[in-house]
Amino acid sequence: MATVTINGKEITVEDGTLILDAARQAGFEIPTFCYQAELSRLGSCRMCLVEIEGQRKLQPSCVTPVMHGMNIWTDSPSVVSAREAMLEFLLSNHALDCPVCDKGGECELQDMVYKYGPRKGRFQEVKNRFHDRDYVLSPVIVKNSNRCVQCMRCVRVCREVVGVGVLGAIGRGHKQEETSFLRQQLDCDHDGNCIEVCPVGCFMRRPYRYKARPWDLTRAMSICPYCGTGCRFSIQERDGVVLRAVAMHEVGVNGITLCARGRFGYDFVNSKERLKTPLVKRNGRFEPVTWHDAMEMIKERLGTLQGERIGAIASPRLTNEELFLFQRFVREVLKSPNIDSDPRWNDTTVEAFVSVTGIPEGGTSLFDCVGADTVFIIGGQVSEENPVVDYTIRRISSERRMNIIIGSPRAMKLDASAGILLRHGAGCEDSLLIALACILTEESGLQDGKALLGDLSKEGFIEQAGVAEDDLRACAKVLVGSNSIGIFAGTSLLRFSSLRGLHLLRTVLERLKKALFIMPLLDRCNQRGAWDMGVHPGFGPGYRGVERRGLGCDGILEGVVKGEIDALYIVGEDLVSAYPDGEFVESALSKAGFVVVQDAFLTRTARFADVVLPSAVFAEKDGTFTNQEGRVQAISKLLPPPGEAKTDLEIISILSAILGGAFDRTESKEVFDTIKETIDMYRDVELRDEPSQVSLVKGSGAVFRREEPPFSKVVYGEDREYPFVLITGNHLFHSGTFSLRSDILCGLLGEGIVEMNREDAESLGVSEGEKVRVRGRGYEAFVKVRIRKDGLRGVVFVPENFEDTPVNRFLKRGEKVARVSIQKPS
Amino acid sequence: MEKVLLKNLGKPNSHKIDTYIQGGGYRAIQEALRHTPDTIIQMVKDSGLRGRGGAGFSTGLKWSFIPKDPTVPKFLCCNADEGEPGTFKDRGIIDNDPHLLLEGMMIASYAIGANTAYIYIRGEFAFGARRLEEAIKEAYERGYLGRNIFGSDFSLDIHVHRGWGAYICGEETALLESIEGYRGQPRIKPPFPAISGLYGKPTVINNVETLSCLPAIVLKGPKWFASIGPEKSPGPKIYCVSGHVKRPGLYELPMGTSARELIYEHCGGIRDDRRLKAVIPGGVSAPMLSADEVDTPLDFDSLAAKKSMLGSGAVIVMDETTCMVKVAYIILRFFSHESCGKCTPCREGTIWLTKILKRIEYGEGRTGDVELLESLCSNIFGRTFCPLGDGAVMALRGVLKHFRDEFVYHVENKRCMV
Amino acid sequence: MLPERLREEIRAVEKRYSTKRSAVMEALRIVQREKGYIEKEDMEEIACMLGMRPVSVNEVTAFYTMYNIQPVGRYHIQVCRNISCSLLGAEHLISYMERLLNIKVGETTQDGKFTLSTVECLGSCGTAPMMQINDTYYENLTEERIEEILKGLE
Ligand SMILES: Cc1cc2nc3c(=O)[nH]c(=O)nc-3n(C[C@H](O)[C@H](O)[C@H](O)COP(=O)(O)O)c2cc1C
Ligand code: SF4
Ligand code: FES
Repeated sequence: MATVTINGKEITVEDGTLILDAARQAGFEIPTFCYQAELSRLGSCRMCLVEIEGQRKLQPSCVTPVMHGMNIWTDSPSVVSAREAMLEFLLSNHALDCPVCDKGGECELQDMVYKYGPRKGRFQEVKNRFHDRDYVLSPVIVKNSNRCVQCMRCVRVCREVVGVGVLGAIGRGHKQEETSFLRQQLDCDHDGNCIEVCPVGCFMRRPYRYKARPWDLTRAMSICPYCGTGCRFSIQERDGVVLRAVAMHEVGVNGITLCARGRFGYDFVNSKERLKTPLVKRNGRFEPVTWHDAMEMIKERLGTLQGERIGAIASPRLTNEELFLFQRFVREVLKSPNIDSDPRWNDTTVEAFVSVTGIPEGGTSLFDCVGADTVFIIGGQVSEENPVVDYTIRRISSERRMNIIIGSPRAMKLDASAGILLRHGAGCEDSLLIALACILTEESGLQDGKALLGDLSKEGFIEQAGVAEDDLRACAKVLVGSNSIGIFAGTSLLRFSSLRGLHLLRTVLERLKKALFIMPLLDRCNQRGAWDMGVHPGFGPGYRGVERRGLGCDGILEGVVKGEIDALYIVGEDLVSAYPDGEFVESALSKAGFVVVQDAFLTRTARFADVVLPSAVFAEKDGTFTNQEGRVQAISKLLPPPGEAKTDLEIISILSAILGGAFDRTESKEVFDTIKETIDMYRDVELRDEPSQVSLVKGSGAVFRREEPPFSKVVYGEDREYPFVLITGNHLFHSGTFSLRSDILCGLLGEGIVEMNREDAESLGVSEGEKVRVRGRGYEAFVKVRIRKDGLRGVVFVPENFEDTPVNRFLKRGEKVARVSIQKPS
Repeated sequence: MEKVLLKNLGKPNSHKIDTYIQGGGYRAIQEALRHTPDTIIQMVKDSGLRGRGGAGFSTGLKWSFIPKDPTVPKFLCCNADEGEPGTFKDRGIIDNDPHLLLEGMMIASYAIGANTAYIYIRGEFAFGARRLEEAIKEAYERGYLGRNIFGSDFSLDIHVHRGWGAYICGEETALLESIEGYRGQPRIKPPFPAISGLYGKPTVINNVETLSCLPAIVLKGPKWFASIGPEKSPGPKIYCVSGHVKRPGLYELPMGTSARELIYEHCGGIRDDRRLKAVIPGGVSAPMLSADEVDTPLDFDSLAAKKSMLGSGAVIVMDETTCMVKVAYIILRFFSHESCGKCTPCREGTIWLTKILKRIEYGEGRTGDVELLESLCSNIFGRTFCPLGDGAVMALRGVLKHFRDEFVYHVENKRCMV
Repeated sequence: MLPERLREEIRAVEKRYSTKRSAVMEALRIVQREKGYIEKEDMEEIACMLGMRPVSVNEVTAFYTMYNIQPVGRYHIQVCRNISCSLLGAEHLISYMERLLNIKVGETTQDGKFTLSTVECLGSCGTAPMMQINDTYYENLTEERIEEILKGLE
């Protein structure tokens, strides 16, 4: 600890604390431009100069650590004059076009000049100009270099956090301009983090351009509705139109960062295609009806059915409150045990996943997981599915240099930060992990290792996984040498796996007394909440057992086909797009006696409905989401839903009332209180803006099975006719099919692609951007090729998001991987 | 004084290894290899050698900051960026006696435990770069470089890295950035290069002339070196004289030779026997001396006492016909051209100063311009990231200190006084 | 694509350093030596070879002033205009050359033979005024010497 005096006030801080931070702790403000806590230290703008007794020169407080006994002045005459001088210099070549600058009103330069600045400009020369008109750097980014203050935050965030490094400082001295290669359009993640960190109006949001002034906007704190990372942001609207989403420093796990979906995917809220009235199908056509009529019809058709003849599926994008009430409605009012959330996952696999990743045991903070000696990522395409997790890992690893191991058949951006890459076969996560567990027992000399493994032996699994034994051994050595290990377990484990491998690895690591943090990587914003709330046929709220196991999504559809289920109640989920075998869902839906779909859009699933109820989206409601860490965070209402649309919470409570089971507490806040009272995990949760341990859920206390999941091998054999294995997942710009309703995101990528390894593309003679025919048994699609350098040969990836390339058409029910052929169209 | 740095200048084939060896070359490194590295460091400390690149830091002391851990790779970088206007001494050594530098580098590398060394030579010195590459090749052929040199267990590789037009790369951390393939912008210190330098490894950066002193120190002993010139900054020094003198050029003289002696005795006095107006004693960053300060000894401490500095030892002589506004304009134009762009005061300040000076020089000065120049100088000075910006201010302040009236005259009369 | 010979040369340069990236300055110099200047494609190819982003190569070409990003004449005349040369009449010689070649500083003669530029100190102050044509220094210049030198160039 070091004790220093700042402006006469004594303060004791940790050794190595920057003067800037010490001063802030002591309550003194020091202005900064180039300093940004998340980025490498630069010390170049000289705004933060302070006086240190005994030192001839003023020192930059943003890079100078305190030393015991220092006597520091942050407001002495020389400091004040230096600040004023720096501002005068920055203004000398600054465009001063505030009246037409998008940043006006929230510009750091403006604010600082107001506070500390010279009152009069002495610069009378001709200003430097980099260009006459603003130029477009990306479909979402516009650039004006004439306003730049050269803080390099954009370049640094692009390199150090986002990891694409497509911005640079071009030129020298006063001619230096932060821009892209030859000012060309950027080939990047288009996440606009450069915009967020820019203190002035140099990088700007293109969709927001000239739409509003900051003081015209109404704001609400919310959470990104896409992946499970749960990034916090403020959404802002004017005249009923959502205009932007803004990340905020020190708020949320994401801090200043967001991915493209988070920052630009908000515009689906205002989509023209939003449903505004209830619809009822008459003679094959939808007709708008009143809520009353729609409800009457539902009462008539559902009210008479026996519970088990009804299946209910809810989207993991609903709030905890809605999911909780949904589950009560289904179980208590409809009296049906057949309840599930995401149709992509098999309910027993979900149970195994939940158990192995320790979800019922409480939350795992992202920062604990990344803070481990070794970080192991398996089954998840973090860079695309959970971009902000990717940023966090990259950013922290550049300081901490922990070991990073990535197991994935696809190449990803984070590979560049990894020490060991395991390119395993598509869908072979399980084999890989089993092989690793076997080798780990050898390497660590674990006492009862043999007993643990039973009849498993590494050989077959290594071969199945398709990785080199040496790499696995290297991996095992790293694990043995680490005290703490963070495992990120992605959704491929849900897609393909039996979870036996992860179970084994976990058991071995626990025996080795490693501090273990396991965090699931989920691709829906409230997937974890849906499970916590008990939207699952096998467990209730808080993972309590259920009296009678119901059917999961797959079972429900099968039930419909077999005539055992008559009615479906689907909330916010697009089965036709998501369930792995699109044809099968369509045939099931058309056989169902009565289908109610509650959604914001007329999805492909909704088209099969008899009654469609228009619902609200995240910006239009209050509630909470639980992210993949188990962090409970609030969203708040910015706008009313369009037309007559209602929140799912309202709809569910009206439905229960109509069907004779009115709940007493149905306001979002009240339901949250009920959740806290009934689900132990949530009892002590506090809703916070900053990432805090108290917003993580606790252990459920529920006895949850941890028996060994069976191993089932993924078989995709040889097939000359269909030489490629097809895998899927989310694309960087899309998450589910929701994002297809965002014009901005569709502007970044609006149609399906097929991603393949460079050598494969070369041997097929196809080049980047060329259209090819992807053919499977019974389905084919034409899509553009994206070439990736380091992916596995023989494996192609098609994102699951696009309606023009419905990947689920390539799959037959029960199949885990599809085989396809790729041809150049003749 | 017996010349040691420029002794081979003018000899036929002075750049060849055989000429160098005939003149007693490559004996010092063999001698050095018989001692421990620590002994060599101590020797250099005892000699009192101070860096000839500009800052005048004790070379032996700088070396002693290098961690001793043998498992950590270390680097030596020779600073041959020679960019300070007025300076051409390193080029003199490189073009004429490259083996002297190589031998110096071998001794330094051995002392600090570096097995790889780079010579960062400015891009314009194409001839010099070629000379160095040939010399390195010769040395490898003799087994003087590479594995186990002179049969010792010390190995050394030397590579030439060519700069490509950036004065700032003479600043030691910018030089490292440049070798690593980045833009040459200075790094934050601490950590100092001795702890974390090239590729994050302990690194020593020394000037060509500094390194070229080493063979003589090893052979003739630190006492001999320390006995030359002033006690606190001893040794032979190459002065680069340019401007209005009869015989400009390189002069190797004892440190502390006065400007008067240098100009009038060695350089034959002022061109056309005009009157001396001012002398820049250490490259353009060094504030100029007026004609009545011409007796100042040219060494680190004496010049510091006159609020100037020895810098690179580049002596620029100006006679009575010189327009000081133009001198100031040229110097500031240079600095604004070379400002790397990293920090605010230097990036914005030097170009602003240049614009004002240009105006004054072209007869478009405005009332208050001189005060504005002075105020901007105070706004820059002491607040820049590296010494480049300070250098620009020191230079301008130096001119203003002695010749402020010329600026005022320019502004008021829209023309020059001289 | 750069000729294999140059790619070989660049690969050899990489070996001198601990990182591939360190070879970027020399790689660009090699390209400029061969072609006279550096184009977009060259930057992209070098980026690819050295595992860099094109923008990072661009950062280098735009920081160091000796990279030509546009074609220059067969003879690139660079006249020093810094202090020592200026004291001895560099400006005068520059305008002399402008007249002689009938171009302004920064321009190239019609026939593509000469490009005239000014530069800051080239470290030849003791023999000022001076200029550099391609790789060669010409020192102690006078009008007559300049005329002679330019005449002597093919
Ligand atoms: C802007 C600037 C330019 C410099 N240029 C050079 C140079 O061209 N050559 C040089 O040897 N040192 C130069 N230096 C000094 C170096 O930073 C460094 O102090 C020197 O190379 C150390 O070597 P020495 O201890 O042998 O003098 C420069 C310093 C600054 C701040
Ligand atoms: S998509 Fe995921 S990572 Fe991106 S902003 Fe939203 S929650 Fe955060
Ligand atoms: S904030 Fe400290 S120098 Fe920029």
